[in-house]
Amino acid sequence: MAKRQKRFEVLDAREVNQDGFVTEWAEVGLIAMASPSDPKPSVRVQNGVIVEMDGVKREDFDFNDQFIADHAIDASVSEQMMAIPTIEIARKLVDINVSRTEVAKIFSGLTAAKIAGVMDSLNIVEMAMGIQKMRARRTIGNQAHATNLQDNPVLMAADSAEAGFYGFSEIETTVAVFNYGPFNALALLVGGQVGRPGILSQDALEESIELELGMRGLTAYAETVSVYGTEQVFVDGDDTPWSKAFLAGSYASRGIKMRFTSGTGSEVQMAYANGMSMLYLEIRCVMITKGAGVQGLQNGSISCIAVPAGVPGGIRAVLAENLVTTCLDLEVASGNDQTFSHSPIRRTARMMGQFLAGTDFIFSGYSAVPNYDNMFAGSNFDCTDYDDYLVLQRDLKIDGGLRPVSEEDVIKVRNKAAKAMQAVFQQLGLPRITDEEVEAATYAFGSEDMPSRDKVQDTKAAQEMMKRGVTGVDVVVALAKGGFKDVAQSVLDLQKQRVSGDYLHTSAILDQNFNVISAVNDLNDYQGPGTGYRLEGERWKEVQNIRTAITPEDI
Amino acid sequence: MAQISEAMVRDAVAEILRKMGDGGSAPAASSPAGEQSYSTSDMELRETGEAKPGTSRDEVIIAIAPAFGDQLKRRTIIGVPHAAVLREIMAGIEEEGMKARLIRVWHTSDVAFVGKRGAELSGSGVSVAIQSRGTCLIHQKDLSPLQNLELFPQAPVITLETYRNIGRNAARYAKGDSPEPVAQLNDQMARPKYQAIAAVFHIRETEFMDKSRRPVDLEVRFK
Amino acid sequence: MAQQDLINSIVREVMAEINGGEKTVSVGSRPSGGKLNHKSDYPLAKKRPDLVKTPSGRTLDDITLDRVVSGEIKAEDIRITAEALEYQAQIAESADRPQLARNMRRAAELTKVPDVRILEIYNALRPNRSSKEELMAIADELQNKYSACVTADFVREAATVYEKRDVLKKDW
Repeated sequence: MAKRQKRFEVLDAREVNQDGFVTEWAEVGLIAMASPSDPKPSVRVQNGVIVEMDGVKREDFDFNDQFIADHAIDASVSEQMMAIPTIEIARKLVDINVSRTEVAKIFSGLTAAKIAGVMDSLNIVEMAMGIQKMRARRTIGNQAHATNLQDNPVLMAADSAEAGFYGFSEIETTVAVFNYGPFNALALLVGGQVGRPGILSQDALEESIELELGMRGLTAYAETVSVYGTEQVFVDGDDTPWSKAFLAGSYASRGIKMRFTSGTGSEVQMAYANGMSMLYLEIRCVMITKGAGVQGLQNGSISCIAVPAGVPGGIRAVLAENLVTTCLDLEVASGNDQTFSHSPIRRTARMMGQFLAGTDFIFSGYSAVPNYDNMFAGSNFDCTDYDDYLVLQRDLKIDGGLRPVSEEDVIKVRNKAAKAMQAVFQQLGLPRITDEEVEAATYAFGSEDMPSRDKVQDTKAAQEMMKRGVTGVDVVVALAKGGFKDVAQSVLDLQKQRVSGDYLHTSAILDQNFNVISAVNDLNDYQGPGTGYRLEGERWKEVQNIRTAITPEDI
Repeated sequence: MAQISEAMVRDAVAEILRKMGDGGSAPAASSPAGEQSYSTSDMELRETGEAKPGTSRDEVIIAIAPAFGDQLKRRTIIGVPHAAVLREIMAGIEEEGMKARLIRVWHTSDVAFVGKRGAELSGSGVSVAIQSRGTCLIHQKDLSPLQNLELFPQAPVITLETYRNIGRNAARYAKGDSPEPVAQLNDQMARPKYQAIAAVFHIRETEFMDKSRRPVDLEVRFK
Repeated sequence: MAQQDLINSIVREVMAEINGGEKTVSVGSRPSGGKLNHKSDYPLAKKRPDLVKTPSGRTLDDITLDRVVSGEIKAEDIRITAEALEYQAQIAESADRPQLARNMRRAAELTKVPDVRILEIYNALRPNRSSKEELMAIADELQNKYSACVTADFVREAATVYEKRDVLKKDW
């Protein structure tokens, strides 16, 4: 075009047009839902064993088929549940007169193809209604990321404390440089308990290292235990359903909470979707999680979000995968954890399904650091969006899991966390943390405000700390001897969770007195208006009280 | 499932890539391919036989994925010629007084497994692995496949200078040093812009994979 | 599945009798045929602290900051026991979560396996890592050395599937 229309010039410059969009390409699985290659639902049970599932005979099962058929689906009710028309199941999902228990019972007998059909019968509002009812825990929760580009442990501890103080129930880190793993786990453990006693922390690393940190008591749960919807991608992910299930048992045997991770788009991203839709393959992941006896799943596309977001109906499919997770009676940590768009409008719209319906963890997680420091390659919302998020809670009277905070209080908790970290490093004989670093971490926006550390020395010390066998209990002792008795007590209370195993149950989080709140003693009982979780009383007052609201006395 | 013919796939990819290219994206999103000139822009790769475990402790393997260098467009996701990339990695290794040995892995297109295999065959136990789209890592033979010494997951932000530094660090690990990790950019907007395209790229590369073929040694001639 | 469950539950009962069954049957009065219930017994730490013990026999209240700092209580003492996991499995079962219960029972068996060995077995179960014989040997070890019968069967099942699906160790 020689001459541009001026409105189109303006439109071209808008953020949304920086996003990558692609057309559907069903043959390789670049399609959100309902690929022509998706199997048709079917099941046949003989002598209590599933001998045919979604058109595939038992002898032709790949390892995912076999694991799902033998461990995930309740063969004793499968034929009965599969006989219910797809549309009727979809209606039961949104019908307030049908209980969560009844819907969960139906889903326990369904195959992946049947579930995909149910999801495709729902529009996005109906999906949100479904999540409102089917979410496992009655109380809403949220999760934060705390990472930084330099793996600076002092800053990370301060950021973890701030996140805890904002009200997140869980906090997650990962590394910029692999060998920093143990220090990052330590920063979240110490900083997190300063911010809010009872917050659970984890460190997303290679599977076996993550397990080792958990066994040592340096993390309180694990999440980055990935499962995949096709056999080849599972193998490229260096696991099988059996190795993953064994890992699940291993975590529980040490009394450690864990969930799996999966998400739409990973199979096509890894080039082996076999022409099946992203949602169909993701449903298989949810079922593998269920079959492994894991209490919950992080999904909602996660690290592949720009793949479903690039195709038509992709964001709807992402909400559908969260819904499937709840229908299979699993905890859901519902994504919203990765940058997928340049457009603030699109970013907000993408999280609305989970935010309005409420999930066990709306974000998994919300970046408690500036996105430039987010080593999960950025989250959908970051620390610069806190006030927007708090206002959204207040506008819509929705509990998004966060609370307004004051600048003075944040300075206090950040400083305390940095000092506690300094003390722990000193007690454990790790490279020195200076007062200058403590001060910088207290007032920092991000890692650019931190003095640099000797990374070679740090990574060596981190590896050496693992060789020495430092445990969570050593951290307790270090905190106590370093003058932080209250934090020491919190870290100890966290260690004690792994004696009773109460927090191994579905959707478990801890309150600030280390009481377990899970889908056992706080099961979601939503069944229409006047039931379920309602934002009211003290908590509603807290949400209202944003720091920029003017009171009559101010005037 | 019906088998898709090679020709069908080629057509579909060509069409998608065409659409991606002119799909109304802002100027910044367009690839610099063709617009920028590189001192090295092409090369010839010749197979010299099955790759055997190396015996020389000063060798660092560069393991390339099935389509790297002589298939597809011979350029990374942002249009940097594979030849230029390879030259930088080799130069980085040689600057440290180590020898670069080039192999191609056929049985997988996954960068982690390419790297793991490379490290197992490397005389020093260290390898650099690279995919056609530019994703790169440094591997070491004692690590499990999905571990690594350094990972460069965001192909769109890796510069030629970074590739040279990656080569240099790999050589240092091979000598038993603990180098400061290569500095990388972290552009959280790389995902929205490139992830879907990266997926298509990887699907294309995977089509060149041959599960039954063992890794081969390669000889390279830059043009 | 149903048959396997039955076998598993028999194995469990026998095992419970062998490994100090007196402890698991003598505790107080319990609803629904001697098994714990999610309504009355959960959370265990609050509602049934009598059932929560560390491997060295301490209660949760025994684990104090002073004792940890003095070195009287060590990291090894702050661990879950097979018994506690069995109780949690019963709670999961009563809450209609049979798969979760099964995982807790595999976990109960694995409490006896050392950390290092757990990590090794996990790695051996990853694709293309082990021969069928190696996996079968692990299953036998789990069964004979650790009385981990349910997990041993699980590993045998994996070995069979791995053979069928060609994910056993290759010769290169």
